[in-house]
Amino acid sequence: MTKAPLLDPFAVFGVEHRLDLEEHALERRYLQLSRELHPDRNRAIGAADCAAVLLRAAEVNDAWRVLRDPWERARALSHILAPGILEQHKSLDPDFLLDAIDLAEQVTLCEPNAVANLQGRIKQQADAIFATLQKAFAAGDHALAAQQIHQSKYLRKALADLETRS
Amino acid sequence: MAYSDKVLDHYQNPRNVGTLDKNALDVGTGVVGAPECGDVMKLQIKVGDDGRILDAKFKTYGCGSAIASSSLATEWLKGASVDDAAQIKNTQIVEELALPPVKIHCSVLAEDAIKAAIEDWRKKQAARIAASAASHS
Repeated sequence: MTKAPLLDPFAVFGVEHRLDLEEHALERRYLQLSRELHPDRNRAIGAADCAAVLLRAAEVNDAWRVLRDPWERARALSHILAPGILEQHKSLDPDFLLDAIDLAEQVTLCEPNAVANLQGRIKQQADAIFATLQKAFAAGDHALAAQQIHQSKYLRKALADLETRS
Repeated sequence: MAYSDKVLDHYQNPRNVGTLDKNALDVGTGVVGAPECGDVMKLQIKVGDDGRILDAKFKTYGCGSAIASSSLATEWLKGASVDDAAQIKNTQIVEELALPPVKIHCSVLAEDAIKAAIEDWRKKQAARIAASAASHS
């Protein structure tokens, strides 16, 4: 189960609270922060400072894990901009859930030579959900964003299951 | 985490897996999901004229506890009256399967699925009564 982030990963990186962040810039920022917090650079300081640096390095790693994945970034953004909204919108449309059962069945029964084709179709669906998610955040419609984040979980699970089969 | 023997039994030999015609008037369908884990559960009941549940089927994609919870639920539903079925609580499922605290949400999902299936069936009955009243007036 995904835990609520304990700290604001955007703040840890010193970037704006937004979904669309340039991934190369994020990676550069991660490398820069990692260098600054590297033990080799912080040898001269005392034990208490050393612990603080270690803690900060752990925060940077946690934040990077969230920010580098657009879906996890979206989940964190939802927690920050609209606390509790993910919980409120947990009940999904039955038609979507029936499709999710169909999809899970297709994944289970998928022949090895059909995996690539199915992956392609699921990725397309995920892209469509992500596009809706971007629009929802841009419009400040956090309920719609929460639904897209929840729906994406089923597609990402299907992709992960296919990954183990190919 | 170790699963209880009962969970393993339902997981390895799930009862009543399958699908009923969701458009049939005597069938109620409940489909619920737990988006945190990407689980989805479909539970269906077929109800006789006397209000007894004649058949129950489920299809669940999720962890062993989610599968066992819905499998157990269909066993309890078969032969029960709709009113008794509506009283089934997730805590009874927790107790029967000895679910650990981290898996309680699986039993909640099963209770939600039972309630949704009953609700769907009741809506169909209300619509049928309304339609027959309209055709007789």
